[in-house]
Amino acid sequence: MSAIAPGKVSLVIGNTLAEMEKVVDLVDHFGAAHGIDRPIVNDLNLCLDELLNNTISYGYDDEARHEIGVELSVDGAEWVVEIRDDGRPFDPRRLDMPAPGGPIKDRKIGGLGIRFVKTLMDDVDYVRSGRYNVLTLRKKLPGEASGGNR
Amino acid sequence: MEIAEQRAGHLTIIEVKGRIDSNTAKVFGERLTTLIAAGGQRLVVDLKNIIYISSAGFRVLLVAGRHAEETNGTLALCGLSTEIQRLFDLGAFTDLFEIHPSREEILAKPA
Repeated sequence: MSAIAPGKVSLVIGNTLAEMEKVVDLVDHFGAAHGIDRPIVNDLNLCLDELLNNTISYGYDDEARHEIGVELSVDGAEWVVEIRDDGRPFDPRRLDMPAPGGPIKDRKIGGLGIRFVKTLMDDVDYVRSGRYNVLTLRKKLPGEASGGNR
Repeated sequence: MEIAEQRAGHLTIIEVKGRIDSNTAKVFGERLTTLIAAGGQRLVVDLKNIIYISSAGFRVLLVAGRHAEETNGTLALCGLSTEIQRLFDLGAFTDLFEIHPSREEILAKPA
């Protein structure tokens, strides 16, 4: 078994839910190419689904086409994902994350997506850079590639 | 995502394969709504072949669970892998649904 080889890929998608499929494919291929465990790949795809859906559905003041950049990189010890969009300034870390509870008839789903992101990722960082939101997710990787597609 | 349906006596089992995410949750929800709308339905959603379920998918389950209650039906779940169970736990969803280990265990029980 060898350590996970470093690498970087990036992709730009439009601000439609349908284009999020391209990100799923990229993450799947990147994860497989680097021998990253399937559950980690799935966690990352889940978090990207939550964050991109949020940006695409609520992040823009107009109906114009916008571009969202997604960059994946791995340095052996961790997987880093950067998401860059030109939506309204929005730091998802500051989103309310009410403790879920109560019976089914009263239950709200708000905050669940960001709860997944904060829990499943090891670190979530945000900066506003010019007219861009730049969100960086970090997920620690096991020391050695297990090479398995579980 | 693919959805398959199996009738077993008074039960309807809906098996979902793949990802329940922002793109696929809508189709999943429409399928459940159509089934539940008949009234008095006993549905089981088998999640053993899903890769993950995002908050959009949990929203669908929540709406379907309420809808089933309102129409004198039931909505149960089965086949949660360790990874999927962890997502249910994070959202405190485990107590909201009747959850069975597997479809086989449900079918083995007397009606």
